[in-house]
Amino acid sequence: MRVVVIGAGVIGLSTALCIYERYHSVLQPLDLKVYADRFTPLTNTDVAAGLWQPYLSGPSNPQEMEWNQQTFDYLLSHIHSPNAENMGLALISGYNLFCEAVPDPFWKNIVLGFRKLTSRELDVFPDYSYGWFHTSLIIEGRSYLKWLTERLTERGVKFFQRKVESLEEVARGGVDVIINCTGVWAGALQPDPLLQPGRGQIIKVNAPWIKHFILTHDPKSGIYTSPYIIPGMQAVTLGGICQLGNWSEINSGQDHNTIWKGCCRLEPTLKNARIAGEFTGFRPIRPQLRLEREQLRVGSANTEVIHNYGHGGYGLTIHWGCALEAAKLFGKILEEKELSRMPPSHL
Amino acid sequence: MDTVRIAVIGAGVIGLSTAVCISELVPQCSVTIIADKFTPDTTSDVAAGILIPHVYPDTPIYTQKRWFRDTFDHLSSIASSTEAADAGVYLLSGWQIFRSIPAEQVPFWADVVLGFRKMTEAELKIFPQYVFGHAFTTLKCETSVYLPWLEKRLKTHGGLLLHRRVDDVWELQPSFDIVVNCSGLGSQELVGDSAVFPMRGQILQVQAPWVKHFIRDGSGLTYIYPGASYVTLGGTRQKGDWNLSPDAEISQDIFSRCCTLEPSLRRACSIKERVGLRPDRSSMLLQKEFLARDGRRLCVVHNYGHGSGGISVHWGCALEAARLVSECVQALRTPALTSKL
Repeated sequence: MRVVVIGAGVIGLSTALCIYERYHSVLQPLDLKVYADRFTPLTNTDVAAGLWQPYLSGPSNPQEMEWNQQTFDYLLSHIHSPNAENMGLALISGYNLFCEAVPDPFWKNIVLGFRKLTSRELDVFPDYSYGWFHTSLIIEGRSYLKWLTERLTERGVKFFQRKVESLEEVARGGVDVIINCTGVWAGALQPDPLLQPGRGQIIKVNAPWIKHFILTHDPKSGIYTSPYIIPGMQAVTLGGICQLGNWSEINSGQDHNTIWKGCCRLEPTLKNARIAGEFTGFRPIRPQLRLEREQLRVGSANTEVIHNYGHGGYGLTIHWGCALEAAKLFGKILEEKELSRMPPSHL
Repeated sequence: MDTVRIAVIGAGVIGLSTAVCISELVPQCSVTIIADKFTPDTTSDVAAGILIPHVYPDTPIYTQKRWFRDTFDHLSSIASSTEAADAGVYLLSGWQIFRSIPAEQVPFWADVVLGFRKMTEAELKIFPQYVFGHAFTTLKCETSVYLPWLEKRLKTHGGLLLHRRVDDVWELQPSFDIVVNCSGLGSQELVGDSAVFPMRGQILQVQAPWVKHFIRDGSGLTYIYPGASYVTLGGTRQKGDWNLSPDAEISQDIFSRCCTLEPSLRRACSIKERVGLRPDRSSMLLQKEFLARDGRRLCVVHNYGHGSGGISVHWGCALEAARLVSECVQALRTPALTSKL
């Protein structure tokens, strides 16, 4: 069975690992390859701060709620494993701040210790009058991708740097199943008007005294457009940019100023922080993520495709649940193939 | 009116904060700190500086709460300001966990810290051997940064720092009018107080920047306090032990206990061992006394014996000490009282 995963961000690599773990003993041999034109540290996953947190409003697809929960539970179960630091995994607590009262988020019982902020806590943030406090997880993209790459390499999965121009091209190479994890660039393989880039820019600073995440929200301007501060394993990520439709990969001076001004207002001690780097990435924004099968007719054969892209700004947050679902779809493909190989019974 | 000359003995957190309070609250005075040890060589420098009060058995709870609240409020306003990183003060959240349900489920300081609540079942699952816990947000006061910041603040008010060992408070008379004794453990010899004794504490300072929460065993013996430059792992409470050299076996034991609480610490590196002798006393001595000898007189304000809780109550005690100093100043400047003496 020849399987190719296109894409080496968190979705591609975790899906590859999940499928390998589930089926390598059933499928002998399982020839699993990863094709990508970008590998860590050049993927969008590498730019993400890595805080586990879904959008505030419920997803349009209720299955996504379950996939978020599965991912949190999976990561939490690793928090005390010797792998945790290598995975880029740690517990982190912090604040979500608003200018007015809002309903509790659908994920309030997934995270730990969710509660509303007291008035004394809100005194710390004079621009805000309402908020939440809870304990969540950090899963740092860069470390996690390195860890996933090591696990896959140990299992004999091969990586190839190549720019795939079309799904047909891969199918014609004699591949049985293609897993399309091309994220924000999925439109280049198959037009998808629902998918668009949510350009983000972030500044990484050294501010090791900051131990909490601080996310602010402005309902008028949309998610990720209000300042946020997210400490990671070594550096702190400052952000607050989400520009729909903007494909510019260059760091913008204006966005830098927006981020810096907004975050310094939120956390005045940042004036002491040394800037360690600045990065741009594209969230693959879609009304709901695409996780489904498709049959591709190439010549006389059918090639199975599993699409797994469009995770917006919550890719790390939902990745494992989606990998499990993709593995389920892969399992269905296997069942169908076996059925189709069975001789027809004589009536 | 003559300038009142005030000497503060001791340059730990108690001495420095008391000197700063006096220089800010008492008019027409000069403040000089005299100590044989300054930061980074004081006992305070070894302390992790987390604001969780120690309970003093012989001090009324409402007084302890008042000092803690004064200290918390004072540090809170620094933490929210642009000065926070310069002063080494910032917010820290975490858990205090118990192996059995404690008699007092809500401590007296619960409403002083932020967001205090009992831990949920899901949170307790993170600590398999524990059945009960508190979750809250408090402050960390990094003494290695805070003490130099206090020294700087004192100097802007014209305060002086003098590196000298004082063996007898009378050495400071007649150069000074009032002596403020913040000598901690030194009070055993300086004023002959046998009620103050060392409570030896050994700690490890490790590199583990992924640890973002404090974790404290309710007994106070095992704790993990992440700071800006390192994580403090502790600890020990060895009564009457004056030994300032780290013990390798104790370090192993501390590391092992902390790794049980937080297994990821096994990957921590760059381990330093430190020892501090907490100036323990069943209640700290915070009072004034007028001494007389051979026709000379000296006003002494004592502020020492804070044991494990020095940083948690330092500002409240410093304010009270400054008040007592003001009373001494009043007494010195009142002709009737002067002639009586």
